[in-house]
Amino acid sequence: MLQFIIQGRGGQGAQLAGKLMADMFFQEGKNVLVYATYGGARRGTPVSSSLRVDDKPIRMRCDIEHPDVIVCFDPSLLEGGALLKGATAQTIVLINTSHPAEEFAHLGDFKVVTIDAMTVAKKYQLGRIVNTTLVGAALGLIGYANVELLEMVVAETSPVKSENNVAACMDGYRIASEGSC
Amino acid sequence: MKADSNRLLLSGNHAVSHAVKLVKPNVMPVYPITPQTPILELITEFHAAGEMTGEIMTMESEHSAMAAAITASLTGVRVFTATASQGLLLMHEMLHYAAGARAPIVMFNVNRTLGSPWGFWPDQTDSLAQRDTGWIQYYCENGQESHDTTLQAFRVAEQILLPTMVIHEAFYVSHSMEAVEIATQDQVDAYLPEFNPPHRLDPQIGESWGNTVSQIMFQNHRRDMGDAMERVLDVAKKADQELEELVGRGYGIHEQYRCEGAEFIIVTMGSMTGTARDAVDELRSEGLPVGLLKIKLFRPFPVADVREILSGIPKLMVLDRNYAPGTGGILYQELKAALYGLEGAPEIHGYLAGVGGTNISPANIKEMVHSAMGEKPVAHSVWKG
Repeated sequence: MLQFIIQGRGGQGAQLAGKLMADMFFQEGKNVLVYATYGGARRGTPVSSSLRVDDKPIRMRCDIEHPDVIVCFDPSLLEGGALLKGATAQTIVLINTSHPAEEFAHLGDFKVVTIDAMTVAKKYQLGRIVNTTLVGAALGLIGYANVELLEMVVAETSPVKSENNVAACMDGYRIASEGSC
Repeated sequence: MKADSNRLLLSGNHAVSHAVKLVKPNVMPVYPITPQTPILELITEFHAAGEMTGEIMTMESEHSAMAAAITASLTGVRVFTATASQGLLLMHEMLHYAAGARAPIVMFNVNRTLGSPWGFWPDQTDSLAQRDTGWIQYYCENGQESHDTTLQAFRVAEQILLPTMVIHEAFYVSHSMEAVEIATQDQVDAYLPEFNPPHRLDPQIGESWGNTVSQIMFQNHRRDMGDAMERVLDVAKKADQELEELVGRGYGIHEQYRCEGAEFIIVTMGSMTGTARDAVDELRSEGLPVGLLKIKLFRPFPVADVREILSGIPKLMVLDRNYAPGTGGILYQELKAALYGLEGAPEIHGYLAGVGGTNISPANIKEMVHSAMGEKPVAHSVWKG
């Protein structure tokens, strides 16, 4: 089973990122279970999307304890340590920031990777919408191969600027796949 | 989503909306509340797109929504509504009325914590607190089961003439997206007969409901309701079997999972069941004789079945994601009452697990099993998780 926790703040598109990835794995024939938790859907409060992907039916209905990947939309979400609680030495922690990964070494023994998704989003006139870039990067980091399907699902899922979102997602994917995060 | 298939990636709530679309209710009085609102939102979208034709009434409160549902139902038409938490509590007075009026309304309830304090978490206390209202109650563990059970609920409610509540939990089911196989219109048309009750409010017939009655008339009416509840057990089993013949998915009114040779049985309702299945598989692979009993139909409570299934089992562990202050877990109370006086009745460990939506993992359940195996139970619910 592959487990992702994607956390952003209300309005940043973390929930949509989880749904997009779920839809992609679903279309590949995988079993998926994705849900979002939030303390009241308000702009600015943390919103987490939890995604499980497996070849077998997924029966458990509980929080993800040891995620394979954590996607963090904003370093301020790391304060307090709740997001990284179940992370292990095998967990990929992808952080959207212009700072290098070394600056986050103090967080613990995880595979910390950073990407400046805001710059990618701006390059494609997406303003502050970094979710598609981060989805691309997360999938690049786990070596996901079905790029054609990813492009198609991003295009279908984007409420606006579908081509720009696909381009940003592919930039994220390339940066991560090439190890340039 | 694959257009060529009925297998869609849906939230549990939207799986319910699709079922409601297929049963074509005539009247749907609605009022929004988190985390139920997506059920009614998608229904109104179907309606706006011309895919549903019933009348949607936007009410000013849940109490009014239920009042409208009762009066519409008494005219002999099919009625659906949905609510959650505080909304269900605001309906409480009308829930008793609906059952007494023998109005076969189907309502979906999404379990959510009750204020105060405020929260949005999965907790079954809201619907379990309505257990004495005379509504049939079904608890579901995933979106597929919620879809299929909504179809069954109309069949059972309209045959028995009692209102029926179908229930799943906030977020873990309501907002979880997973693959759900949608029944076809042909299947549902073949499954669900037209609703045509013998008595209804109709100026052409000239009937009424709501007279003041004598003591004995009231008592006899309650006895009739009780007799109807008794009939639900067989009618619900049959409704499940016949849907299974059409769509290939059946659940029973309860389910025994890996109970063969079991000496310890975990009892659950709702989404905790899925988590417990994983725990049971792991415990079995450790060589422990542990099984699972899922209670799906909670009202009427399947007392005779439960006594038969659990007779001779040394130990039970009941997991309650609900809490009645002063008594404890509600499923625990119901099971103790059901098993009273049974020869070879099991010892029962009642655990409050997941109250307020606290997280319960397969590992947590395994730990509880291990500790319960080596302990004598106490006579009250114990906090876990």
